Amino acid sequence: MTSASSATAPVGLRAVGPRQLIAGALVLGGLVVLVLLPQYFLLSSEQRTLAGVFMFVALAQGWNLIGGFAGYPSFGNVVFFGLGGYTTAILMAKSGVPFWVALPISAVVGVVFAVLVGLPVLRLRGHYFAIATLGVAEGMREVVVNLDGLTGGNSGITVPAVGAEAVTSYPGNTGFYFYFLGLALLATAVVWQVSRSRFGYGLRAIAQDEEAAAAAGINTTRLKVAAFALAGLLTALAGSIYAFQQVTIYPARLFSVDITVLMVVMAVIGGSGTVIGPVIGAVALQFLSEWLRTHYTDLHTFIFGAIIVVAVVLLPMGIVSFTRESIAQRRISLLDTVRAYRL
Amino acid sequence: MTAVLEVEQLGRRFGGLAAVSDVSFSLEEAMVLGVIGPNGAGKSTLINLITGHLKPSTGRVVVDGRDVTGARPWAIADARVARTFQIVKPFRDLTVRENVAIGAMFGPSRAGSTREASARAAEVLERVGLADKADAEPGGLSVADARRLELAKALAMRPRLLLLDEVMAGLRPREIEGALELIRSLKDEGMTLLVVEHVMKAILSISDSVLVMHEGSELVHGKPQEVMEDERVIEAYLGARYAKRMRAQRERAGDA
Repeated sequence: MTSASSATAPVGLRAVGPRQLIAGALVLGGLVVLVLLPQYFLLSSEQRTLAGVFMFVALAQGWNLIGGFAGYPSFGNVVFFGLGGYTTAILMAKSGVPFWVALPISAVVGVVFAVLVGLPVLRLRGHYFAIATLGVAEGMREVVVNLDGLTGGNSGITVPAVGAEAVTSYPGNTGFYFYFLGLALLATAVVWQVSRSRFGYGLRAIAQDEEAAAAAGINTTRLKVAAFALAGLLTALAGSIYAFQQVTIYPARLFSVDITVLMVVMAVIGGSGTVIGPVIGAVALQFLSEWLRTHYTDLHTFIFGAIIVVAVVLLPMGIVSFTRESIAQRRISLLDTVRAYRL
Repeated sequence: MTAVLEVEQLGRRFGGLAAVSDVSFSLEEAMVLGVIGPNGAGKSTLINLITGHLKPSTGRVVVDGRDVTGARPWAIADARVARTFQIVKPFRDLTVRENVAIGAMFGPSRAGSTREASARAAEVLERVGLADKADAEPGGLSVADARRLELAKALAMRPRLLLLDEVMAGLRPREIEGALELIRSLKDEGMTLLVVEHVMKAILSISDSVLVMHEGSELVHGKPQEVMEDERVIEAYLGARYAKRMRAQRERAGDA
């Protein structure tokens, strides 16, 4: 960047150049491939695997809004996943509500819960916020277990998916491939819009210095709660589709802390606070996890964990920032960060 | 004419310590109030109380006739009040231009779009002399440039009342001259300023009135010339023995 360009640049904060056009073309091409893939190439089981990848893209993007942009490391985002899933399952099983009605209701439940929990909990920062959100998710699981009249408790609840009882016919692996693809695209589009909006700049300001953000006229409470609500919306949508896909759901799975940890790790390793980082993180880690599961039946979680540790040590700012830095400096050095942090 | 800022018997206690107690003043449009005092006199706390970063224990803060006592910082910003921080607070992962654009994106005089905010940021950067560093990251700025950025962020909000917390600390004489000139031109445009400063000479030259604080309370409040000659001020700044010597000197000069 030269001083001349900055003095005469009255354009947007991030200019649109040839690089953006190429990126746009790549995205469009990728979309066409993803839409055509199931029809011509994919086995049903592969569609199911990819649907899982898409789901985690959406979850990681949801976390990205609150953890990445706003800088509030939620360790309880799975609570929205579980609430979305249970809302859908209960509505379909107990009230015979069709999936396409249960889905938006689940999203509303996610948003309302995020606002109610966010107002008190987002007053905490750092570790305290992380612990509080973790507690909310764990507590909600216990509530769901104990409301067994409604939720079936630990023995789970089953969505009527086949035969005459089915309120919405089961879309199968190809159907869920597209549902989750749509959700992943929606989540990424939302994050992209946020990243270039006033809202997004406000969140980034909050993440970097909340006091200075407030002094700049940013209503920090409103923006943080809005980011949490948007995360709640996307995550509840994912939970809703997941419940329908699984047919029978259990509290231990739908409120599992593993799911939270995965979305955090995916967003962070890919690059939290960026648009594409969580996509890269979710795709890379889901494929890696699948591959390890088939090749190392006993040790796959251990190896997966070890790889995550190494990745975080070598790429603490995430793959996206690391790549940008490497291109800017025209060299790749994984050990720079190790030296910088004296690891 | 109503005052832009009225502070009435403002006070704040931290446990047993009165960081600020019983401070009152009013500030008319396009006036500059200088606030001086030794370390720990409560100058920064006073700014924090006015801008909502701390809640007052006693007293009232009125901006443009509106009581904003205890309001949150963004609500105070909505009353067209901006401030700088003594310890600069840049948004570290944003460029200098983006830092300033944030100031133009929120509050009552916000720009219509992020693009417009960026254009306004460019104007402000030009004005404070940071235009050539618009694309730099704040981490690499010199002390003087970091203070310019802090000022630019506040100016991008287009405030009516601007509170500056030691924007001249650590600057070289020529840089101080530049800062003073900027403050004068802001005043000429009708902005009202409260300037907290350590550099006494600098503040006396731009202030319409000066408030001297000592241990949380008002020691003297008056015209710069009066304040400079006040014995209590000399004593607070330079010690009792020095004040005594000055008095003796003055008396001897009077006898002769």
